[in-house]
Amino acid sequence: MTSLQTPLTSDPSRGTRGHGHSGTPGDKVTLRVAIIGNPNTGKTTLFNALTGLRQRVGNFAGVTVERVEGSFRGPDGQHVTVLDLPGSYSLSAGSPDEQIALDVLLGRDKDRWRPDVVLVVMDAVHIDRNLFLASQVIELGVPVVVALNQFDVAEIEGVAIDVPELIHELGVPVVPTIAKRSEGIEPLKRALFIAASLPAPSRRFDLPEAADEALAPLRDCLIADGLLPSAASMEALRLLGSSKTDAHLKGVPGLAAALAASSDALRAAGFTPARFESEVRYRWIGEVTGRTVARRVNSGRSLSDRIDAIALHRVYGPMLFLLVMVLVFQSVFSWATPLMDAIETVIGAAGRTVGALLPAGDLRSLVVDGVFGGVGSVLVFLPQIAILFTAIGVLEHSGYMSRAAYLMDRVMRRVGLHGKSFIPMLSGYACAVPGIMATRTIEDPKDRLATIMVVPLMSCSARLPVYTLLIGAFVPPISLIPGVSLQGMTMLVMYLLGTFVALGIAAIFKRTLLKGPVRPMILELPPFRWPSPRSLAISVAQRCQLFLRRAGTVILALSIVLWALATYPKDQVDTSLPIAAQQERQLEHSILGHIGHGIEPFVRPLGYDWKIGVSIAASFAAREVFVSTMGTIYGVGDRGGDDSALQTQLRQERNAVTGKPAYTPLIAVGLMVFYVFALMCMSTIAVTVREAGGGRVGWSWAALQFGYMLGLAYGSAWLVYAGGKALGFGG
Amino acid sequence: MPPVIALPTLQNNDTPPARSTCALAACGPGSRATVVDIECSADEACRLRALGLCEGISVNVIDSRHAMLLEVRGTRLALGSAIAAGITVRPQSAQA
Repeated sequence: MTSLQTPLTSDPSRGTRGHGHSGTPGDKVTLRVAIIGNPNTGKTTLFNALTGLRQRVGNFAGVTVERVEGSFRGPDGQHVTVLDLPGSYSLSAGSPDEQIALDVLLGRDKDRWRPDVVLVVMDAVHIDRNLFLASQVIELGVPVVVALNQFDVAEIEGVAIDVPELIHELGVPVVPTIAKRSEGIEPLKRALFIAASLPAPSRRFDLPEAADEALAPLRDCLIADGLLPSAASMEALRLLGSSKTDAHLKGVPGLAAALAASSDALRAAGFTPARFESEVRYRWIGEVTGRTVARRVNSGRSLSDRIDAIALHRVYGPMLFLLVMVLVFQSVFSWATPLMDAIETVIGAAGRTVGALLPAGDLRSLVVDGVFGGVGSVLVFLPQIAILFTAIGVLEHSGYMSRAAYLMDRVMRRVGLHGKSFIPMLSGYACAVPGIMATRTIEDPKDRLATIMVVPLMSCSARLPVYTLLIGAFVPPISLIPGVSLQGMTMLVMYLLGTFVALGIAAIFKRTLLKGPVRPMILELPPFRWPSPRSLAISVAQRCQLFLRRAGTVILALSIVLWALATYPKDQVDTSLPIAAQQERQLEHSILGHIGHGIEPFVRPLGYDWKIGVSIAASFAAREVFVSTMGTIYGVGDRGGDDSALQTQLRQERNAVTGKPAYTPLIAVGLMVFYVFALMCMSTIAVTVREAGGGRVGWSWAALQFGYMLGLAYGSAWLVYAGGKALGFGG
Repeated sequence: MPPVIALPTLQNNDTPPARSTCALAACGPGSRATVVDIECSADEACRLRALGLCEGISVNVIDSRHAMLLEVRGTRLALGSAIAAGITVRPQSAQA
C-alpha cells in the first residue's frame, strides 16, 4: 500500500493550486485526478465507478462545457478529487471541448485546477486509435495512469493485450478495468497514488534527427513561455497540424514566426508538417501494438455489425428510428402513469395531514394550496422526467444516438446543417440547456449558432407537465392499435411539430443571417454496447436532483407568491352565494385576478380566459410554472375541498356567463401548440447569451431567439384556434 | 488456443501515390483501400487523423450511399461525401 509522504506540489513548475473545488471547507485535498479519454471508451462509467454519487455538476469557468467533479477516499483515507474532462480524440483543440481538456492538463484553465495525476481511459478493443491521445498526454510531463477499459469485451473479441509489456512500452502504470461491473477499480485507485510519486513520464519515441532539429525554434519558443520541455515538445508537434493558434497560446511572443520557421525547416528536411505528428505517432503506435497486442483472426461479423446492417439499412433504418421514437414517447406517457398517481396520492395525503394540524384560515390555505398544491402539481412529473432521461441515456450509452445522427444527416444537410447538429437537438428533448451545451461539439461557428437558435424548439421535459395536463384532460384515452393510444400519439405529434419547425427555422437561418457552406460530417459510430445500469442510474439521478432543486426553490417561491396574489386583497363576498361562486369572486377580486384581466385582451384572440393568461404570464420564467399556477388557482378556487385532480377541474370548468365549458379540446390543442414554440425558460436564455458569444452579441441572439419563438407561438396558437373554429371544431 | 496473429505495423508513409489511385468517394461498398493523401481543411484533416484515418492506413468501405461508412482500425466512421471526395486512396481489391 502506498501512501504519499511527499507533498505533491513540491515541483514549482506545476503551477498554482487553487483550492476552489476541494469539497467541503476544511476538507484537505491530497490528490487531484483528471480523467480524459476518447468518446465511447466508458470514461464516464469509470468516473461513476470511482466516485459513485459524490459528484457535483457545474461549468468550467467562462464557458458552458459541463464540468463534473467527484471525489473518493483513497486506501489510507486520503481525499481524492476527480475531474471528468470532456471526451476528446486528441489534444488538437479542434472543438471547444478539446480546448478545455488541453487547458486543464496544462494548468491553464481559468479555475487554475491542475491535476496531480491524469487518468487516461482507453478502450481495450481499439487500443491503437486510443494510444494517439494517450501518447500526447504522456508527453505533457504530468504523472499518468492508463485504464485499459472494456477489457472483457476485448477478450470476447479476441484481442489479447500483454499488460506488463504495455506498461514497459508506455512507461506509466496500466490497469485493466471493466467499469460497467466496477472491476479493477481498487487496483486503479492504488495506481493513481503510486503514479503521483513516480518520475514524470515523457515521450516514448525519438523523432528523426533532422525533424528534431527543425522543431527546435518552436520548442524553444514554448519553453521560453514557461512550458515544461516535455510539454513544449508535444505542443510543437501538435501545432504543426493545427490551422489556428489556440487561445492559450495567443500571447506567446514570436510563436507565429517560430511555427513558420519550424514548418519550413521540416519541409526542407523532406517531411510534410501537417501530417508529421500523425505519421510519427501512428508509426510508434504500430510498433507498440505489434509487441503488445495479439488479435485472433475473426472472420465472422460481430453482433454490433449485424445490428448495424438493420439500424443503418436504407429502408429498415428509418423505420427502426421512427419505432424507437414512438416507443420513447409512449413509454414516457403511459409507463409513468402509475408512479404519477402514487406521487399525487402521497402529496394529497401529506397536504391534508399537515392542513389538519393547522388552524383554518390563511396559513392553512398557504400550506395546503400554495405549497402542496403548487409544488405538488410539478413534482408529479418526476417519473416522466426520469423515464425521458433514462430513454435518452440508453440511446446515448448504447451507441444508437450516433446512428440516429448518421441517419438524420441527409435531412439535416437539406436544411444546411450536418448530422452532428441532430445530437444537441435530440438532447433538447430532455432539456434545452444541455442541448445548447452539446452544440460545443460542432466545429463550425455558424452551424453551432444555427443549432443553438433552434434547440429550444425541441419539446423539453419542462413542457411535459403542460402537455400531460392538457392531453390527460382533453384527449380521450382511445387505443389506436394495441399499446398505442391517441393520447400517446398526440404527445408524439407535439414533439414532431417542434422538431420539423426547428428544421425549417434552421434552414432559414442558414440561408440568411448564418449563410455559409455546409460542413461535411465526420462521425464515429461506436460499437453497440449494453448501457451500464449503475452509470445510467447515476446520471438520471443527477438530472432528477436538478429538477427537484428547481421545484424546491424557484417553483416553491413562485407558488407562494402566486398564492398570495390569488388570495389578497380579501373581498367581502355575499355569503348567500354558493361556495364555488364565492371563491370565484374572491379570485377575481385578488391582485392575480386584476393582472389576469389586464392580460385577457391579449390572450382572448387565442380563446384563453384570464386564468390561462395569468398562468402563461407566470410561466415566462419556467414553463412548468404554468401547471403549478393552474394548481394554485384551482386550489384557491377549490370546490368544497374536493381532492379531484386538476384535470377533472379543468374539464368541469364552466364559463361564468355562458355556462359552456371554459376549456375545449380546441383551446387545449392551441395552448399546447403555444408551448411547443414559446421560449419560456430563463435558464435557456442565460445559456444562449453565453454560448452565442456573451455580451451584447450574445444578448442580441438571445433576444432574437426569444422574439421569433414568441411570435411563432402566438401566431400558431391563433391559427389553431381561429382555423379550428372556422372549420367547425367549436371553441 | 485459437491461432493468433500480431497486428501488422500499419504505417507506410513513404510510399508515393501509385498510378491506380482514386477518390475515396468513388469506392463502392465492400471495397478495401489504402489512404494515400488527405486534402481538406486543416481542422478536418487533424480530426480525421486523430480518429485513426491517416495516410497509409487501410479502410473498408461498408456503405457509400449518401455518406461514406468506413471501418478504420476496427472502428466505424461516417464521413460526408465532400470529405470523402478529398481523400485519395489506392484500392486494394474489390470484394462482393
